[in-house]
Amino acid sequence: MDISLIVNGETRSASVPAETTLLGLLRDHLQLTGTKLGCDVGDCGACTVLLDGKAVNACLVLAGQADGREVLTIEGLATRDELHPLQKAFEEHASLQCGFCGPGIILSAKALLDEVPDPSVPQIRDALSGNLCRCTGYTKMIEAIQDAARSLRGEPAEPNA
Amino acid sequence: MAKKRAIGEREQRVTQRTLHSVDETLRLPAITPPVTYPIETLVPQVRQQTPAVGQRATRPDGRLHGLGQTRFIDDLAFPGMLYARIKRAGIASARIRSIDTREAEAMPGVMAVLTGREIPVNSFGPSLKDQPVLADEHVRHAGDGVAAVAAVTGQIALEALDKIKVEYEPLPAVFDPLEALQDDAHKVHAPNGNIYATRVIRKGDVDKGFAASDHIFEGCFRTQMVEHVPLEPHAAIAMWDANGRLTIHSTLGRITLGRADISRTLKLPLNRIRIVATIVGGNFGGKNEITQEPVLALLSKKTGRPVKGVFTRTEEFIATTTRHPIIMDYRTGVTRDGRILARKVRLVLDGGAYCSWSETTLGKACILSAGPYNIDNLFVEALVVYTNKTMTGAMRGFGAPQVCFAYESHMDDIAAALQLDPLDIRLLNAFEEGSSSPTGQVLQSVVLKDSLLQAAGRYGWKDARQ
Repeated sequence: MDISLIVNGETRSASVPAETTLLGLLRDHLQLTGTKLGCDVGDCGACTVLLDGKAVNACLVLAGQADGREVLTIEGLATRDELHPLQKAFEEHASLQCGFCGPGIILSAKALLDEVPDPSVPQIRDALSGNLCRCTGYTKMIEAIQDAARSLRGEPAEPNA
Repeated sequence: MAKKRAIGEREQRVTQRTLHSVDETLRLPAITPPVTYPIETLVPQVRQQTPAVGQRATRPDGRLHGLGQTRFIDDLAFPGMLYARIKRAGIASARIRSIDTREAEAMPGVMAVLTGREIPVNSFGPSLKDQPVLADEHVRHAGDGVAAVAAVTGQIALEALDKIKVEYEPLPAVFDPLEALQDDAHKVHAPNGNIYATRVIRKGDVDKGFAASDHIFEGCFRTQMVEHVPLEPHAAIAMWDANGRLTIHSTLGRITLGRADISRTLKLPLNRIRIVATIVGGNFGGKNEITQEPVLALLSKKTGRPVKGVFTRTEEFIATTTRHPIIMDYRTGVTRDGRILARKVRLVLDGGAYCSWSETTLGKACILSAGPYNIDNLFVEALVVYTNKTMTGAMRGFGAPQVCFAYESHMDDIAAALQLDPLDIRLLNAFEEGSSSPTGQVLQSVVLKDSLLQAAGRYGWKDARQ
């Protein structure tokens, strides 16, 4: 089936078998391999992307369901001039260890910050509840997300951060 | 400094524009995907000066991770690449009567099928070479691979697995390590017995120690099987070239060991094998040995094309190594005030169907099973047995977490029975500078008591107990 959707601000088209997931479309047809395949059954969250601004598991969405809609992947966050504040904070806090969960976590965090500019720690934990990190580095991720939230609100970073 | 940076940025923009115009002038194909990221990188203080101690550090791979630009094995693709899938036995113990692959081979899109009989030397392992790459005669656990398919898409390879007909003759099976110790238990690797490695530590005289004790305590502790669950599944891409040289991109953590195993199983000299290992998406000990690499290599040799294999999450659980479940029997003799005079430990490790890193795990669990305590009279007996379950191997700590759970739980039980503070009984028995380990190693830089006291002070241990 023919699919046309907006990926990271650009219209992309592909002709894929009907059983193709959004994850398969992004990785195999559009070569956007930043979105990871971890379990393929919606448990781990490594394939999290934003579909019309909402965080979804790309392995549980059929490519056909994304037709005509807008998808944001990890490749669409940074610009030539700067990293997205979340990416910057994750780098500075060394929040990612093996890095496999990173793209999904950052996008889940972005979906949160788009709705809640000043999230509490429980709200951050709740937003990350669908994303597993087996290196168990959640603490530094939460610090980074708080830092990025401050930066997005135009406040200075914590002095000790 | 600011001025210098501004010039750098301008130079950067010029470079980008120039590059673009070259692309347009030469009408080169557009390079997908059009990912953008800033050129200026964060240079951490730690790598600008020494000493590094006290400086803020960042991970050198942190930026690529955050941008989604780290290339894990499954993110790589090569022209003409095929996708492989492995058929799992689904039966824990059986003799393979026959494997019929004809229907699968006839499927459009299937390029090659492989069975265990086609593997030049069908056995590997870090110590005992008891594990087949693909089971050929016997299936010893349900996750054993019995055949593999390479096809133009992963979906076709998956469908082809259903077309492979394997006829099994079911055999008795044993799943409990204590049952596996019985004389009449099913022998997983017949004619050999199920105990495949043992370790014993003797120190002092435990009988005398128990005789001199005021109290003797016994406890049995068991742990369960644990899978590493790295978020990145095992993945590899094999390319067998026309010169008979093999290149494998793999998630292997131990590439030199892996290369030796691949060389052995394929009967290929080491110097013809090149292993490319990139960033691993979580290892935790589970990616320390080969899995599907020889299978992919032979499928690549058969087809003349690169072959990629990525384990499903199910395969991660049933067909890769796990942490050893251990049954731990403790018997400890103590004085009235809680000093340990004698300890006897018996460890039975559930080794699963194949040895893998069991011998290493066994040794470490055995040495550490007495705990960080001065015990003059000690007897430890540890053994690892085959069962018809997923094999157990290396995982963070190599047996140390299991025995730590046992001896610390045992200490708490003793403290409670003697109405002692759990902290005090540990301080009374803990290693000090110059203490010797159960195997006679004299220990230095021992700060166990300091650590316990500091932790107790910081968390208000004494206050909380009042």
